[in-house]
Amino acid sequence: MSDSEEHHFESKADAGASKTYPQQAGTIRKNGYIVIKSRPCKVVEVSTSKTGKHGHAKCHFVGIDIFNGKKLEDIVPSSHNCDVPHVNRTDYQLIDISEDGFVSLLTENGNTKDDLRLPTDDSLLSQIKDGFADGKDLVVTVMSAMGEEQICALKDIGPKN
Amino acid sequence: MNVPLLQPISKAIKPYEFGSRELQVNQAVLGIHGLDVQFTGVNFLESLVSEFSPSTSSAMGLPREFHEQCRRSLEIDYLKMFYCWARDAALSVTNRIVESKSEVPEVKVCNAALRLMLQILNWDFHLNNNSVKTSINVFSAGARLDIDSSKRSECTLVQPGPAWRDVLISSGHIGWLVNLYAALRQKFSREGYWLDCPIAVSARKLIVQFCSLTGTIFLSDNGQMHEHHLLQLLSGIIEWIDPPEAVAKAIGCGKSESEMLDGCRALLSIANVTTPFVFDRLLMSIRPFGTLTLLSTLMCEVVKVLMSTYPEEETWSWEARDILLDTWTALLVPLDSTGGNAMLPPEGINAAGNLFALIVESELKAASSALTDDVDGDYLQSSISAMDERLSSYALIARAAIHVAIPLLTKLFSERFARLNQGRGIIDPTETLEEVYSLLLIAGHVLADEGEGETPLVPYAIQTYFTDNMGADEHPVIVLSSSIIGFAEQSLDPKMRASVFSPRLLEAVIWFFARWSCTYLMNPEEVRETQSQDHQLQSQQLRKGLHSFFREHNQGKLVLDIIVRVSVTTLLSYPGEKDLQALTCYQLLHALVREKHICVHLVSLDSWRNLANAFANEKSLFLLDLAHQRSLAQTLVHSASGLINSEASNQYIRDLMGHMATYLRELSSKNDLKSVAQQPDIILLVSCVLERLRGVATASEPRTQKAIYELGFSVMNPILVLLEVYKHESAVVYLLLKFVVAWVNGQISYLEAHETAIVVDFCMRLLQLYSSHNIGKISVSLSSSLLSEAKTEKYKDLRALLQLLSSLCSKDMVDFSSDSIETQGTNISQVVYFGLHIVTPLISLDLLKYPKLCHDYFALLSHLLEVYPETVAQLNSEAFVHVLGTLDFGLHHQDAEIIDMCLRSLKALASYHYKETASGKTGLGLHAAGHKDSGGNLQEGILSQFLRSLLQLLLFEDYSPDLVGSAADALLPLILCEQGLYQRLGNELIERQANPTLRSRLVNALQSLISANQLSSTLDRINYQRFRKNLNNFLIEVRGFLRTM
Repeated sequence: MSDSEEHHFESKADAGASKTYPQQAGTIRKNGYIVIKSRPCKVVEVSTSKTGKHGHAKCHFVGIDIFNGKKLEDIVPSSHNCDVPHVNRTDYQLIDISEDGFVSLLTENGNTKDDLRLPTDDSLLSQIKDGFADGKDLVVTVMSAMGEEQICALKDIGPKN
Repeated sequence: MNVPLLQPISKAIKPYEFGSRELQVNQAVLGIHGLDVQFTGVNFLESLVSEFSPSTSSAMGLPREFHEQCRRSLEIDYLKMFYCWARDAALSVTNRIVESKSEVPEVKVCNAALRLMLQILNWDFHLNNNSVKTSINVFSAGARLDIDSSKRSECTLVQPGPAWRDVLISSGHIGWLVNLYAALRQKFSREGYWLDCPIAVSARKLIVQFCSLTGTIFLSDNGQMHEHHLLQLLSGIIEWIDPPEAVAKAIGCGKSESEMLDGCRALLSIANVTTPFVFDRLLMSIRPFGTLTLLSTLMCEVVKVLMSTYPEEETWSWEARDILLDTWTALLVPLDSTGGNAMLPPEGINAAGNLFALIVESELKAASSALTDDVDGDYLQSSISAMDERLSSYALIARAAIHVAIPLLTKLFSERFARLNQGRGIIDPTETLEEVYSLLLIAGHVLADEGEGETPLVPYAIQTYFTDNMGADEHPVIVLSSSIIGFAEQSLDPKMRASVFSPRLLEAVIWFFARWSCTYLMNPEEVRETQSQDHQLQSQQLRKGLHSFFREHNQGKLVLDIIVRVSVTTLLSYPGEKDLQALTCYQLLHALVREKHICVHLVSLDSWRNLANAFANEKSLFLLDLAHQRSLAQTLVHSASGLINSEASNQYIRDLMGHMATYLRELSSKNDLKSVAQQPDIILLVSCVLERLRGVATASEPRTQKAIYELGFSVMNPILVLLEVYKHESAVVYLLLKFVVAWVNGQISYLEAHETAIVVDFCMRLLQLYSSHNIGKISVSLSSSLLSEAKTEKYKDLRALLQLLSSLCSKDMVDFSSDSIETQGTNISQVVYFGLHIVTPLISLDLLKYPKLCHDYFALLSHLLEVYPETVAQLNSEAFVHVLGTLDFGLHHQDAEIIDMCLRSLKALASYHYKETASGKTGLGLHAAGHKDSGGNLQEGILSQFLRSLLQLLLFEDYSPDLVGSAADALLPLILCEQGLYQRLGNELIERQANPTLRSRLVNALQSLISANQLSSTLDRINYQRFRKNLNNFLIEVRGFLRTM
């Protein structure tokens, strides 16, 4: 029980922690994260150029919104700071899929988490539903950043465990 | 008849020989049947020649050898005859053309004849060079083999051989051609003729082509005949380009530039077949100056025109400049390493000096005027490599006139430095900055060569240059270098940095330093001594002065210190300037630590210690690009080779990296690691530390091995903890894996038995952990590009894991440790198989579509199967089936190399089984035997399956013929293992064959495949060889009809 309290305590502290961190634009790499137009994105392309021949370098980012998959772009002087989202991923065991499009997940401390909606996209939905319908033991990974949550991966932990 | 129709006819003639039609064509070409027929005849011959030349011949479904035979016979029997016909045809109409006042129909014939002659001279003559050869080598016949004779690959030489001498040289043919064109020139103002009219163009092209004539066609009379030939041509060509000012002016007023460009091309051709001396002398007899002077003035004019036009306009002057630069390069590039041939006559040196001055002026003007245009990156990249080529040509010209060029550069530099200093804060310095930038690039090229991986020597022209009464530190090279170094030193001052040293300018400085220091900085003495024996004492001493000036006891250490401090400035004071920092890390610092004697001084410098200190402790260096940090770590570790002993080196590394290892240990033992670890700032820091560790690990040397092993050992547990925590953070996982790969790869061969056991155990835990995270995992995302990213990341991870296994494998091959690893009970083969067993389920057939992963995987697999076949037998059936499934996949791959590796694996597998069973053991045991699957169906053993699919491949599918040898090696043991199945398959094939003749052929072929050449049933070398022959014969005999029926 003390375990669970500690967890709760921490997640409260987390809620107070900042959702984004400043980081120098020059240090953000491909496959890293960045906030563009207040959306958390995964960087898929970085290029640098100069402002005028003898000016300073600037970075050109192409990012993909990690939740809705939309493409966003931004240009920042490379010595300036950018916001980097705090992206958290947590594994839960999938207990149930309800009729109204919510999932029921088992948390580490034995409680259930029932506030997460299934994705609306058909193909993603079927990937999750099919796996569950086959009676496999599924663990879903939930990605959360800047106040949003979404299932980002699932894994068959198989009969061995 | 029109021209498009000719092509099919010449094709139709080609399969037969050209015999009986000869007479008719000859008559036609000579004009007996009138002009139109003559014109057609000449055109016909032209397309015939083009059809017979292999490079332009059309595919007729005939073998290459046939084309070769055709061209051979054409070259020996007909080519010269055709040429004479064309010449006679042209001669027959020349008078009419020259005499008539306006265009006459004969022009058409003459033009066609000139084109035919050009076509023939373009022929790739090579039979006379090796006429002894009787058989035709189909594969090499296409390639030209004149490496020794041409200095530049772009210019093709014409070498028809002595048989052509009477036609081309002795008969006054050249004189006729030159006169014809001269006559045409007179007519240009008239109706029907102009500078670019077809006949004029053809005549000029032919003249240029004649300039490239060389080889055995000339008598070996000290080049007199050749010289006379060139002079004859040049006397005609000179009219096109001399006087240069007038020519340039005329073109500026609207005259066509083609004649002038052809003149430049002719000079290039001549330069390619002569030495500078001969080249210069040619013109002396008809003009008061030499050809080099003409070349120089001509190019000066071109450069002037270039300066006065807008840079973006693609005008004739660009083309002319490039051709003339090529001419200079052809003249000046040394033929051998001594560079003896590059020396010019005095007049030529002056000409080169004038030209260089003008070139520098034009480059500076271009630099300062090109400020406003905002070119995009792609274009910039391609123009940089073009510029590099241009600058190296400039450098050749400058070195030819070294006494003018270097003082000139020094003067220009000091003017600009002064202007920058005076105008600070008052005038916009951008123009001057751009000029300095260009000057730095030019100076770098003039002073030093690019090493291309080797240590470049001081350029010959600089080595041999000296004048009387010159003190050691007055050598122009020293003066120039010192002034540039002094300028660069000012970047250490923050105020100067802010106002003058833009990132771009500093890029040029760093580039210059990197290039310059490879050649001059602390040059080791012994290289010089051997070279200077045959020169005068005075020059020798002076040269020594030049070389020793930047050596350790002189200015060398001071300069080194400046260079290091400037580099540190670029890293610390230019945040986010990745390009600049990349140059510093990869070019300059790497170059500095390459030589041990420089490292000795480096590590004693305060500035270097400051760099190491900042690297270990300062926050700002964590803001560098990750790859740069890795490279910096590598550089710092390499510099430890300059320390006094291995004790000191190891301590140096402990000091350098100790903090970071401690950080990882502390982080991994935190209670709240799980939540802290996900913070972006922590992720960044962890990534930096991992990249640095990886950089250190790649720099492993015997001397520093101990410290690096301890370093890695101390973070082994943290690595596993982090792998667990960051299992969803693919970027970090990749860095973790790459560090382990680099560390194991650098360490494994030095490790003692107990250390090996620890490392192996660690690797296995790593593999298991990685596998448990990733097996059965499906990424879910809306974005298809994110999904493909995820796949790519997985591929990169797996590739790293395979590399890890390969490094472990190498322990059995290269081992420097004192005792055998067996003492600790570690069996590398078992370990690697176990690793493979963990990794293979992650490698789906989909992932094998990544070529590099596929290659790595099969390389590892074939190595394992060849070296340790016994362990594969111990794999459980699931893993075994998976391994062999991938083998089957590889067998049908498109890449011949991968198929080859699979065949080698099969050979290893089957021969192991055969040998084992022959000696009464189980071999592959259950895997090889057939068994019943869950459905009750009989499953064949794996060897039977492979025998079947290999035969199927060999007989019915497409594959490269190179593979037959290795296929034979795999097939023989398979047949020996599965004799019964082989007989059955053979019978099946025979029964399917309805045609009785083919059937009997097949029966015989199958029989002789396993019995001819005294093939026995042992697996030794001789037997493999015999079987290769048998299989070859077998395939030749039956594959044709089996595939088509």
